[in-house]
Amino acid sequence: MATVTAAGVEKKIVKTLALGVLTLVLYAGLFLMEDLVLGLSTLGGWFGLIPVGIAFIFSLAHGAFTGYFWDLLGVRAKK
Amino acid sequence: MDAAANFVHLDLFNVAYLLIVGFIAGLVSGFIGSGGAFVLTPAMMGLGVPGIVAVASNMCHKFPKALVGAIKRARYGQVDVKLGIVMGASAEAGVLYGAHLQENIRRAFGAAGSNLYVSVAFVAVLAVVGGYVLWDVVRALRSGTAQAQVETVSPLARRLQAIHIPYTMVYFRSLDARVSVLFTIPLGFATGMLAATIAVGGFIGVPGMHYVLGAPSLMASATELVIAFVMGLGGTIKFAWSGLVDIRLAMIILAGSLFGIQLGAIGTTYVKPHMIKVVMGTIMVLVLVSRALVIPVYLSELELIGTLGGGTVKALNSVSFGIMAFALATGAFIVLSALRKGMRAERAAQEAAALAVAATPAPGAATQPLPQLSPLGRFERILVASDASEYSAGAVREGLRLAQRCGARLRAVTFVAGDLEDESLGERALGRELDSARVHLDQLAARAAAAGVPCETEVVQGVSVHERIVEESERMQADLIVVGRRGRRRLSRMMVGDITLRLIGSAHCSVLVVPRAAEVRGRRFVLASDGSRFGDAAAVVAGSLARRCEAPVTVVSVAVPSHAEARRQEARGVVDRIVRALAADGIAAQGAVLEGPAGDTIVAAAADCGADLIVMGSHGRTGFERLLLGSNTERVLNRTPCAVLVVKAA
Repeated sequence: MATVTAAGVEKKIVKTLALGVLTLVLYAGLFLMEDLVLGLSTLGGWFGLIPVGIAFIFSLAHGAFTGYFWDLLGVRAKK
Repeated sequence: MDAAANFVHLDLFNVAYLLIVGFIAGLVSGFIGSGGAFVLTPAMMGLGVPGIVAVASNMCHKFPKALVGAIKRARYGQVDVKLGIVMGASAEAGVLYGAHLQENIRRAFGAAGSNLYVSVAFVAVLAVVGGYVLWDVVRALRSGTAQAQVETVSPLARRLQAIHIPYTMVYFRSLDARVSVLFTIPLGFATGMLAATIAVGGFIGVPGMHYVLGAPSLMASATELVIAFVMGLGGTIKFAWSGLVDIRLAMIILAGSLFGIQLGAIGTTYVKPHMIKVVMGTIMVLVLVSRALVIPVYLSELELIGTLGGGTVKALNSVSFGIMAFALATGAFIVLSALRKGMRAERAAQEAAALAVAATPAPGAATQPLPQLSPLGRFERILVASDASEYSAGAVREGLRLAQRCGARLRAVTFVAGDLEDESLGERALGRELDSARVHLDQLAARAAAAGVPCETEVVQGVSVHERIVEESERMQADLIVVGRRGRRRLSRMMVGDITLRLIGSAHCSVLVVPRAAEVRGRRFVLASDGSRFGDAAAVVAGSLARRCEAPVTVVSVAVPSHAEARRQEARGVVDRIVRALAADGIAAQGAVLEGPAGDTIVAAAADCGADLIVMGSHGRTGFERLLLGSNTERVLNRTPCAVLVVKAA
């Protein structure tokens, strides 16, 4: 058991915005460095881990953002 | 090979197109555990992406999407990670074999031969599996069982679960039974082979886990996401090693699909289990039509039938792709409609409950609770202590279920920290906490009203959580306190275990600890007894509950290797005595004296017999005895996935 920790709406907005900005920065970085990233990806071998790593990082940031996004819009799971 | 030449230029239209298709595919995947890939690959190829890069990029978006979806659905207690990993490992082998088979067919019969093989596989699998899924849905709708929240296990699954093959039996939470891995391996392999052939292994995996192994369809579809993650990660590494992944394409699709998969996962919490089959069956049959349409094209290319004109081929290909896109859109439409309808019904139920709560007199105003003469075996007043988090979901659910079964009154409380430090944060912060707690309790009251359970709710403040829970239980003279349990990871275990143990130590009545995903369905109870009066108290309560739930009971007594034979003999006597007493009450009971460390052995016994509740006695409330008991109780609480009822003897 623990005490109630549900954050208020303001806290959720801040978290959602922070994660949204982080996601945007990641996507902007990917497309601004498109040539470099694609160049390294095509080398294959151990460089193949670059796209795998990128996919993991994006899924963490963007996955958390989308979760908060729907929650903020009131689309929540039935308890 | 110049791999960079494989990567297309992306304009705004392409990006928007992939985002939308990704969103729809994610929505369906979040709901049924798979799907979408069969449209994404052709959609990318339609933009000029070479086939191999489209497949590689699709794979690279699939594993992070499945990871996010699996985590989300695990929060709802729908994922069986063990089954997912076991199936995923064999699916990986299936993928490799399927890809190898594809290459051989392409080498022998050319591209048309390979396409024909894929289309025939599509049609054959989807006709058999999709047809059966839809038939099952229609049958359930006609018989009225589709409205049930709990699905029945298929006769085939029951037969497989009954087969015991030594050294291969594994307990799976979703099946609530042990099954031989010799049955899961071919199923996983077929899932992988289908994934390598038509990109949607879930069309075999989900029905396989449901109909063949006996997993509920909601858990099968959620567990499929673990399989998809394992297969996707393996496939991505394979393609990335050859430099074929276009990470831009993968991340654009991922951007859309993560919005979709969250929504699809949320949708599963609002629907009846048969909706998974409705969506999956509908998509499968529509895709079947789509692929059947292009079979003449490949037959013509292989000169097995007369040559088709260029216009006819183009028209058949276009119509085929159109039907495939329509299949995905139809699936997405059903998911969104079900979500909208479910949310609307939930809101209406909450509003009705809020009105009912407002009309209920204040606790204690109308009726004084009856004095409690003996708490043993009586379940007339139940206290559910919830912290409004998902970790209390199991406690709330089982508290309600128990109150409904026993005709008990329910009191639900939520705690808000009310110490000086918190108050110094200001009234606003405290007000938000209180509002949030009230909303949670209103929802709980709505569920109680819907279940016909009399329920009172209250938000309480206090410094010490366990002391306040005990105070509340004494105030209402509760027969039982129901609480949730945090995760089993080390940190949360350390933080929470202490409060739960203190609660068990201080409470006068029994305490039921329910992990988030645990359900007390009455499949089997394990009663652990050491022959003391505390063990006898536990036996009385276990018997009372087993009668109400019509559950069989396995009585266990644990001896440690250092125990003398006399002690073992005594343990056998204890077990026999309790089994006879339970049997005299008309309860199906069996017993065993086991050997090993007490906590772990009790947990293993529960897992082995597929129990959904462990009942154990608690020694005194204070002092050394409590400390001694704490280690075993804590071990059981931390290690078992099922609910634990700790019975207090006065």
